[in-house]
Amino acid sequence: MTRNNILLLTTLAVLAVVLTGIKIYQNHHTAAAVEPIVLYEPLPHPYCTAVGGGATAYSKDSGTPVRVVVGQESTMANLNQNIESLLTVGHKAFAFIPVDPAGAKGLFTRLKTAGRLTVAYGAQPAEGSETPFAVATDTKAAATLAAEKLCELMGHKGKILNVLESLTDANTPIRKAAIESVVAKYPDVEIIQTVGDVTTEQKAREKIESALVARGDEVDGVICTGYTTTVAAATLLADHNRQAGAKHIRFVGLDNDERVLAAIRAGDVDMTLAQNPFGHGYISCALLDLMLQGWKPKVDYQFVDAGCFPVTKENVDTYQAGIEAMTKTIVGELKTKYLEPPQK
Amino acid sequence: MSNIQHPTSNIQHPLAEPRFGQTDWVTGRTLGLVMFAGVLTIIMALVSPNFLTTETFFSQSRYIAFYVMVAMAQAICLAIGDMNLAVGAVGSIATVAFGLLVAPDHAHLSPWLAVGIVFLIGPATGLLHGLIITRLKIDAFIVTLSMMFVYMGLRSGISGGNAYSIPQSFWWLGQGGFGWLPYMVVIVLLILCGVSVLYGRTKLGRWLIATGTNPMATHFSGINTKRMVIIAHALSGCFAVLAAIFWASQSGNAAPQTGDDWLIISFAVAIIGGTGLKGNLISPFGILMGAIIFKLIQHALVILKINDNYSNTLLGGLILLAIVVDRTRERFEKKQ
Repeated sequence: MTRNNILLLTTLAVLAVVLTGIKIYQNHHTAAAVEPIVLYEPLPHPYCTAVGGGATAYSKDSGTPVRVVVGQESTMANLNQNIESLLTVGHKAFAFIPVDPAGAKGLFTRLKTAGRLTVAYGAQPAEGSETPFAVATDTKAAATLAAEKLCELMGHKGKILNVLESLTDANTPIRKAAIESVVAKYPDVEIIQTVGDVTTEQKAREKIESALVARGDEVDGVICTGYTTTVAAATLLADHNRQAGAKHIRFVGLDNDERVLAAIRAGDVDMTLAQNPFGHGYISCALLDLMLQGWKPKVDYQFVDAGCFPVTKENVDTYQAGIEAMTKTIVGELKTKYLEPPQK
Repeated sequence: MSNIQHPTSNIQHPLAEPRFGQTDWVTGRTLGLVMFAGVLTIIMALVSPNFLTTETFFSQSRYIAFYVMVAMAQAICLAIGDMNLAVGAVGSIATVAFGLLVAPDHAHLSPWLAVGIVFLIGPATGLLHGLIITRLKIDAFIVTLSMMFVYMGLRSGISGGNAYSIPQSFWWLGQGGFGWLPYMVVIVLLILCGVSVLYGRTKLGRWLIATGTNPMATHFSGINTKRMVIIAHALSGCFAVLAAIFWASQSGNAAPQTGDDWLIISFAVAIIGGTGLKGNLISPFGILMGAIIFKLIQHALVILKINDNYSNTLLGGLILLAIVVDRTRERFEKKQ
């Protein structure tokens, strides 16, 4: 037998003996307890950080340990492999964003089959997904509200530049349809151009700038329904609107990045809709904790609207209190509105 | 399943030379990977009491099988001295096509029929890449980079970003198994055996490796190297489509985002597995070990509660470390 073959067999034999020994030892010793709840954030991102803050706050308030895990990228593949790794650790309940709502269907089934509890946050899962709750902003309602507010700011007259985010994000078609249906109500309002397929702030800036340059003074309002597009548009429009003699282009965005809030505070742009990421994390963990205590969902699937809040120059420094009050109200309703008490 | 290398290659491995009448099952390089994977496994078992369970094996081995397919799609091209940057994009377009064919609100064909049709996308795209590379004499890097954008645009345009539902009757392939042994793992092991035979025992395999070692010399030896390039790209496409079908079944849907992160996986696993970046070297068993190491590292990052924000940095560092250790060991053995 060659040297390599001897080494290979020796390696495999040693590995088998060592692993068997470890397994026997572990079978006779109690393992350290792991956190029952995992809140998974797909990537380092201001929205995700705020969701994680909600989960940490819930853990502090309730005393239930919650592990907050951050993934590497917002793809279904990355989500799947990280959640499956966490599943093997022994955590009992998972809250995560179904980054691809249809794609997460298999993962929800897998977790349910393995006896784990789940809550989707940040987006609604696809119909038929085996998860009892989604805690999120109502995508359609938020896009509708944003479009209504923009039309109102424009005096129900003028041309809109509609800036969408990633075309592979399942929420994008919902937002697009909602905006178009609002605009269709007002005969003097039209969408002059829709730009999309934007995944980064840099790309968003390039596309918005190109559209504004190409359209000249035709654009009366800009609507953005994604985080990256909102930040890019708000900073661009703030520069534009500050110029002496420039036409004031109206703006409604989504998400409350500090740069967007600064532009609103300075009066350079009009409005953004603040989501409730803190509530997404806090409410999701509260639901999982209650279900671990034996509370049962009233029906197979329920959507918990964590709400969104219009932020303008008038309330830019006080809106956070409104969001926290909204979260407390929703948490207070969980046991009556969404859950049934444990059976004795 | 030892490393397959052309005899004219100047990378000769002392441990790879079998004694008369004896055959090495693995080369020294692959043996090093086995040892590294073994050490990682022991560390994981010590750290996580839930690691040595059938649940972990079932869950993680499916990813390993999937990574092997993605890496094979790259390794086949690397072995002839090319690269395929469109691995993920081919997987993506195949996924969208599969979704359109099987989704109840679209063609609603039988999944088996759909698999047969979609599988043709692999060789078709490979043929296209190969023809452009060889006939128009354009570098594979440029061709596959351009085609990557073409396919990514097509998938977004056709799907509009929407994922397609896969009938639950097809989930068994990616989610089922013989007890704790996933079907995917069995299929991938059989494929790896086939690839080993192709490269180790057939003329075609040797010609492919020879093309990667020295295309000019191979050409003057009477081998049609252009045809070898086309065949390699066609095979690469087949593996990319297989990976897409596996993933669709495992995730229970056909999402157009499929493939977005395959490029890094394909290079990382293939290179850890000992595939030569400049051609002439491919090891199916090495790629399997590469996939195991890649998955173990990723699993470790989650289990060990390493600061998540730095996990990509650590992953990259550990992959580099694995390769450096392997190359150092190789140089040390050469000196002996």
